[in-house]
Amino acid sequence: MANREIVAENLVKRYGDFAAVDGVSFKVDDGEIFGFLGPNGAGKSTAILMLTTLGLPTEGRATVGGFDVVSQAADVRRVAGVALQDIGLDPLMKSMELLTIQGQLFGLSRRDSQSRAKELLEIVKLADVTDRPVGKYSGGMRRRLDLAMALIHEPSILFLDEPTTGLDPASRRDVWTEVRRLNKEQGMTIFLTTQYLEEADELADRIAIIVKGKIEAEGQPAELKSGLGSESINVIFSDVETAESAQSKLSDMVERTQLDRKTLRLYLKDAATRIPAVVNILSESNIQPVSLTLTQPTLDDVFLQVTGERFEEETKTEAELA
Amino acid sequence: MTTLTKDTTSTLSAQGNQQKTMPFLAQVSMMSWRSIVTLARTPAAVLPSLFISGFFLFIYEATLGNAADSIPGLSSGGYLAFILPLSIISASLSGAGVAGQNLVRDIENGYFDKLLLTPISRSALLLGQIIAGAMVLLLQTLIILGVGLLMGLDSATGVGGYLVVIAFSVILGTGFAGFSVGVALRTNSAAATQGAGFIFFPLTFLTATFVPVDLLGGWLKTAAQLNPITYILEAMRSVLLTGWDSEKLLTGVLACVVIGGIPFLYSLTSLRARTRRK
Repeated sequence: MANREIVAENLVKRYGDFAAVDGVSFKVDDGEIFGFLGPNGAGKSTAILMLTTLGLPTEGRATVGGFDVVSQAADVRRVAGVALQDIGLDPLMKSMELLTIQGQLFGLSRRDSQSRAKELLEIVKLADVTDRPVGKYSGGMRRRLDLAMALIHEPSILFLDEPTTGLDPASRRDVWTEVRRLNKEQGMTIFLTTQYLEEADELADRIAIIVKGKIEAEGQPAELKSGLGSESINVIFSDVETAESAQSKLSDMVERTQLDRKTLRLYLKDAATRIPAVVNILSESNIQPVSLTLTQPTLDDVFLQVTGERFEEETKTEAELA
Repeated sequence: MTTLTKDTTSTLSAQGNQQKTMPFLAQVSMMSWRSIVTLARTPAAVLPSLFISGFFLFIYEATLGNAADSIPGLSSGGYLAFILPLSIISASLSGAGVAGQNLVRDIENGYFDKLLLTPISRSALLLGQIIAGAMVLLLQTLIILGVGLLMGLDSATGVGGYLVVIAFSVILGTGFAGFSVGVALRTNSAAATQGAGFIFFPLTFLTATFVPVDLLGGWLKTAAQLNPITYILEAMRSVLLTGWDSEKLLTGVLACVVIGGIPFLYSLTSLRARTRRK
């Protein structure tokens, strides 16, 4: 039985003084979908480059399917299928040409490679556009062909680097469906990076939140969320000062509070039954909330808790810097 | 079970013995074919250098052909055979960028990384581009020879002479294409790669460009004697003008190896540097 695990031990990638990946350790089990969640520039893609043998680690080690990514790179390439964030397709070529070459390089005969290519083009719904050069494909079509390229040699471990970034919602759903199918029907271990909380929540059995090259939290999405308490009450005020004074009044009655500008989040057990108490304290202090809602914890809350910053805002500032 | 070579493509792992690898030569020919196909789909990348090839010959002959009667050692009408090798070398230099540019395109669109993710031999990856580039230069040489024949070119050694000229141009072309591939790997820049061939361009003038080397004087003669291109020119000229001259041919081959081999090694070290840096 082939080993389908991914193990990283204290993986570090430094560019000069900057550590893009700063001591990352994790283990992905056989048949698991593991999500690497983090904003732009967090080190997700750099980690994938090292795991897929395109980049050498500065420190630490990693194995993919039991093979060392440095000393057994050729074996890693055989067991791993990789779809990178930047789609790697020659726009002048046609889908059959690209897939057949890819298959042959993995040791398939020309005929086997062609029949496998046809099969995959059916699966990714590109069978009727084979006469068109890839350069004329839409973004979603290219992404699907790139996924087919990654699958040509029937890998047992699949790496997907931001597989749905830039896709419209319908194409995103298609990719999700296919990822689930590969995982269920073929038992493929899937390592995926994403900057979408929803995607990690939807697909991953287990996620790691990576920020500035370090893993800040790891676990099943449900587990991470329940770690925050079962529910929270979200109160929005008209200005930051009001929110701050509300926080000081309320902090005694709840397990934990989190203030983000005008939004105060109260984490507590049985939140629904405690709403009247919260409203009472606020009105006793003459504080008028703009809105008050009861929410289930989301991965965004998890992210907020581990980093102290909202996920989307973090993403935005990183994008502005870039 | 033993591991026979250090080449990563043929390393057999404990469980990898049932996995086949595409033979090295099959990889090279498949990747060369693929590069040639993509070049054929972008005629705009190839046509200018094909055009310039014929142009060089035409213009040199037209300008200097009539003056050649007064050059000692060149019989009337022999100037065409004298200038043809220079046209071939100049054209090879200006067309050398094609291979590198094709590679820059692959790097830019990400296909290069996709290939690096397969167990393809790293040298097959380069050779594919280099051979396709050399084929373009071979095509140029054939065009120049064709134009030359139409203009009345006559080889002193018959068909054999033409084959020697073609062989020289293939060796040189491989070297130049290798050089542009090396520049492509180091710079990732289409512009730098396009310009790369022109580093060698002065060499085509610091030599017996328009008259035999014996007629040169002063510093230019010294420069020409140090310039490997001189010996390649002399070898090619000897088969076309005077007949078989084993000494000139041998020196020509050596010069070819120097000027073609060093750039080729440069491309291989560039690939190593690149894969290490990432």
